[in-house]
Amino acid sequence: MQPGHSAAIGVATVVLALALWALFTTAIPWIDTARFPAPADVWAALTQITVQGYADARLWRHVAQSSVLVLTGFATACTVGVALGLAMGWSRRAEALLNPVFLLLRPIPPLAWIPLAIVWLGLGDAAKVLVIFMAAFVPAVINTYTGVRAMEPQIVEASSMLGARGPRFVREVLVPAAAPHIFTGLRLSLQASWTTLVAAELVGALYGLGQVLNNAAQDIYPGMILVGMVFVGLCGGLMTAVLGWVERRAMPWRAA
Amino acid sequence: MSDIRFSGVTRVFQRDGREFPTLAGIDLAVADREFVAIVGPSGCGKTTCLRMAAGLEFPTTGTVAVGGRIVESPGPERAVVFQQFALFPWKSVWDNIDFGLKCKGEPGAGRRARIEQIIGVMGLQGYESAFPHQLSGGMQQRVAIARAYVLEPDVLLMDEPFGALDAQTRTVMQEELVRLARVNPRTVLFITHAVDEAVYLADRVVVMTRRPGAIREIVDVASVRRAERWDRHERIEDVMDQESFVHLRTHIWRLLREQQARNDH
Ligand SMILES: Nc1ncnc2c1ncn2[C@@H]1O[C@H](COP(=O)(O)OP(=O)(O)OP(=O)(O)O)[C@@H](O)[C@H]1O
Ligand SMILES: [Mg+2]
Repeated sequence: MQPGHSAAIGVATVVLALALWALFTTAIPWIDTARFPAPADVWAALTQITVQGYADARLWRHVAQSSVLVLTGFATACTVGVALGLAMGWSRRAEALLNPVFLLLRPIPPLAWIPLAIVWLGLGDAAKVLVIFMAAFVPAVINTYTGVRAMEPQIVEASSMLGARGPRFVREVLVPAAAPHIFTGLRLSLQASWTTLVAAELVGALYGLGQVLNNAAQDIYPGMILVGMVFVGLCGGLMTAVLGWVERRAMPWRAA
Repeated sequence: MSDIRFSGVTRVFQRDGREFPTLAGIDLAVADREFVAIVGPSGCGKTTCLRMAAGLEFPTTGTVAVGGRIVESPGPERAVVFQQFALFPWKSVWDNIDFGLKCKGEPGAGRRARIEQIIGVMGLQGYESAFPHQLSGGMQQRVAIARAYVLEPDVLLMDEPFGALDAQTRTVMQEELVRLARVNPRTVLFITHAVDEAVYLADRVVVMTRRPGAIREIVDVASVRRAERWDRHERIEDVMDQESFVHLRTHIWRLLREQQARNDH
């Protein structure tokens, strides 16, 4: 199928879904709008949160708050996670040292860290960054590790024959060799970051999209709930798209 | 001085809890700046020998020494052209060739000139920025050869380096290797399946038995080449027409056939 063709089909599907939504909430009210909002309700909620604000702030403030937390947690987790994954993948000694700790932490669902994070750091930003870190860290480590282990032995042999050592070996051989796996890990980490952020904000926050969702649930305000959900999706999707762009730029040799 | 010396080298591989004797007592001395070719049946341990000289594999018993020192690890003074190329998929042709020089800490200007020259010799002009997966097998092999040549190593270890090339390119590469060897002779260990290639290039041809590999015979080519003055001829096909050449080739061919016959029963 031609790319233009499938894009057109995609647009058509979305338009159809929106039309059906409008139809069954407004024209033929089969759906109870007290449970699921009509397009007009969502529009009203969107205008309210952008103009007057909702849950103590305007939309952009919530979006910025959540995005900054996600980026902070994600970036730290990736830096630490990729470094640890490289070390564990490359050095048997590092693996022996770190793997037991990692195996112990790994089965704990990230959300189970929330209570401890609150006890340690309170309800502020630091606690949420910690929880995001815990969630994003695991896929970064595992995939980087896998990438290093999947390296062809011949490549390692060629690089040691050419005299590659130390930082140059890491930068020019180890990292690019593991890069496809590393990026898989980063994509999973990013998803996990958004998931845990929303959960952490639901527990308690001053601002943030999770806080919007939390307030809207308490106010039984379906229109606002949908706005919150849509913006979580948009932010996550946008960051994933940026990551995809970085991935293509970072690995030109894999472009078709 | 960069001679290679295999002394009583054996190698036993373990697989599925069983022992596979692969090399059965190799004694071979490749003199400094000598070109030695190894031929032998597939699986007889040629690559294993070469990897030992490279420091990528180690004998079960016996020793391998280069320049009088036991080989302990790989290094750029013993450049390897791998049977499966082993190029870096994420580096362009240029960067693949450049990498060894960078690791040596050579300054940029000198590197540039040498890389340009070797790219010319290998006929890779116009492909400097291509990635390995965008090249044909033969071109990838030429990049692998360039990557080793550009280091100007004391010892060149080449594992069927022309195997993936078409007949014409192969001939050009062989003549080029002879030319390079005349200008700047190095110690070369060269594995091949092509008997005439071995006779054309090498000072001595080592014929191995099938696995567990041992040396069946070492055929001296250099004395014949000198006596018959093969270097009068510019072209490889003229050398190959010489009666003395044909004679050596047939002799080696018979030794290999004898191994084949042992294989058949
Ligand atoms: N790491 C290893 N583990 C187990 N067996 C091995 C290993 N490396 C090589 N072998 C075995 O040793 C034998 C010799 O292998 P080698 O690659 O040296 O052969 P070769 O003479 O180069 O063959 P070819 O001409 O097909 O390249 C083979 O039977 C192979 O299966
Ligand atoms: Mg081989």
